[in-house]
Amino acid sequence: MSVAILGLTLTCYLLGAMFLGASLLLSTTEARRPWFLISGRLFAVIGAVLHGVAIGLRCIELKHPPFTTPAESLSLLAWVVVLVYLGLEVFWKLWAAGPFALGLSFLMVVLGAVWSGRAARTGQDAALLGENAVSLHILATISAMGAFALAFCCAALYLVLHHILKSKQGLVWMKRLPPLKTVETAAFTLVALGFPLLSLGILSGMARAMGGGLSPGWATDPKTLMAYLVWGVYGVYLIARLLLRWSPVRTAYILLVGLVLCLILLAIPSAAHQFGEVRPTPS
Amino acid sequence: MPLALIGLSHNTGATVEVREKIAFTTPGTLAHALHFLKTSLEGQAEAVLLSTCNRTELYIATSGNLSDDEITELLLEARGIAGEAETICPYLRTRHGHQAIEHLFRVSAGLDSMIIGESDVVRQVRDAYSSASHAGICGKTLNQLFHEALRVGKQARTESDLGRGAFSIGHAAAEVARNIFGVGRGQTVLLLGAGKMSETTARHLTAGGAATVLVANRTYDRAVHLAEALNGRAIRYDEFADYLAKVDIVISSTSAPHPIVTREVVEPTLRHRRRGPLFLIDIAVPRDVESTVGELPDVYLYDIDDLQQLVEEDMAERRKRAVQAEAFVRDEALAFAAKLRTQSVAVPLVSSMRAKVRTITAMELTKLRQRLPHLSDDDWQTIEATFASVENRLLHDPTLRVKEYAAAAENPEVEAKMATVRELFGLEQEENARRV
Repeated sequence: MSVAILGLTLTCYLLGAMFLGASLLLSTTEARRPWFLISGRLFAVIGAVLHGVAIGLRCIELKHPPFTTPAESLSLLAWVVVLVYLGLEVFWKLWAAGPFALGLSFLMVVLGAVWSGRAARTGQDAALLGENAVSLHILATISAMGAFALAFCCAALYLVLHHILKSKQGLVWMKRLPPLKTVETAAFTLVALGFPLLSLGILSGMARAMGGGLSPGWATDPKTLMAYLVWGVYGVYLIARLLLRWSPVRTAYILLVGLVLCLILLAIPSAAHQFGEVRPTPS
Repeated sequence: MPLALIGLSHNTGATVEVREKIAFTTPGTLAHALHFLKTSLEGQAEAVLLSTCNRTELYIATSGNLSDDEITELLLEARGIAGEAETICPYLRTRHGHQAIEHLFRVSAGLDSMIIGESDVVRQVRDAYSSASHAGICGKTLNQLFHEALRVGKQARTESDLGRGAFSIGHAAAEVARNIFGVGRGQTVLLLGAGKMSETTARHLTAGGAATVLVANRTYDRAVHLAEALNGRAIRYDEFADYLAKVDIVISSTSAPHPIVTREVVEPTLRHRRRGPLFLIDIAVPRDVESTVGELPDVYLYDIDDLQQLVEEDMAERRKRAVQAEAFVRDEALAFAAKLRTQSVAVPLVSSMRAKVRTITAMELTKLRQRLPHLSDDDWQTIEATFASVENRLLHDPTLRVKEYAAAAENPEVEAKMATVRELFGLEQEENARRV
């Protein structure tokens, strides 16, 4: 059931990304653009609702949290990205981030499915992952990643807008994009929200690791070290933005680097984060 | 009622000297002209006089036979320049029927304007119609025409995006400001120099959301005067650098012979600025802002050429979009012309046909009642219903044909067909008899 709903979700994300992308890129008139926009937004909302239902149903079906396999974690992250995007829409009408957010979510769900197939962990491992500290660790980290992904998108948009405004080329096209100051403010707000979440994720992970039950080398595990690095980079961004008054262009580049590090953090193999072998579920 | 239009505009080659001679834009002239037209037309025609700085056009819907020369004479007399026909007439153009309709639709959509897509003309069309209505010389036909023109104009503008983009330097500056700050963000604007152009630009910016205006000018009194006009505050000219850290937008248009906003002035203020971009609009010639200021981070510098380029790019975009609007306007004009012809030609003809058949039916029913007095009321109801049904069935196809003929383009062949229908139904004799 949840797989079928996830299929519909993917269709919605893809259509949403296409409609919002068309609204951004196609040479169409303002009168027609709202229809692309409305359709794109509608697909994003329907997709988010369906995705939430699919995740919920899977939890009920398998009786474990929605992040016991890489596929599930990616699916959850994809859902968070779409929710953060919808938040940006509500507060700043940042529909220009839609093609990125929906496209990324689509890819993450597909990638998760290809990567892990229909896999599940053993009941024991799932129980471990269901502990409060571990759940908090994963949920906070995934939420932070969702915020950082959209902050990356805002930073990229900022750099595009900055380039157009400085070079004075393509100003006609720029009218379809959100204002420069809005994307900069949105990027900062997302990091300001994501950074405490990442801190919470790291702290809860450390607390759980110190409680025992994990492999002894967790403190020097590459994934753990990479998490510190990501935390440091976003910390530098906040300091540069708030205290050092770096130019928005420089801080935007930090956010681009930040997401690359986040992707490495997600992909990096880790002994400390192995909760037993993944085995295929009986079909 | 046949429609006619006579008028001139910048597109007919009329120079500003010619246009101002026939313009009804000075106070009182329009009211006087409408009164004159009402008296002269004596209820035989409807009229609307559209007069702007770029055009003067008289729209007439007449039930009689007013020739083009007579309409021209009316227009010139209404302006009191009958003696200047030789100067004016070479620029006057006449249009009839659907061409007049299409022209008004184009005007309303801003397609006939000097700056394609400008929206002020919509207000002017509405005002012209409103004045004629109040003067009591606007009847059913022109009421319909102007309502339709306003609708078509709005739709064409919306669907083809004609109203979008910059129309002037001030407008272009406001557009760039919107791209930087967004709409209604309450920016602070500093005006360096109290010239007309900076005032216009500031007005565009305040309309777009700028909240506070500061004015600095070498002559402090002028700064105070302009600040009052813009609901802002005047500051001393030699103190403007102190304010650079506090403002979001600077519009510079002084007559200084050398740059007054230099890198040395701007760079230190950036350190003290609250976070946010600084948008510098330099519309002075020679330029007031040193070009290297634009290289500073978070500073966006636009001079008059940059803004003019933006206006031209938008104009080129609008020209492309105007092609789409032209097609829409043409289709709407044809549809409306067909509707008017149906109303003015087909409806009266069909009414006459039906009236004649109904009279014959009524006569035959009366005769039948005398011959068959024993029939009950129910029987008579059935017979009357049958007659009505036959009547409707007989007239159904001719009615459709007549409407189709009327809706087709205006040409003598259509008139001939209408005449044939009248002849077949013997309506001409009846109309003649009624006239006698």
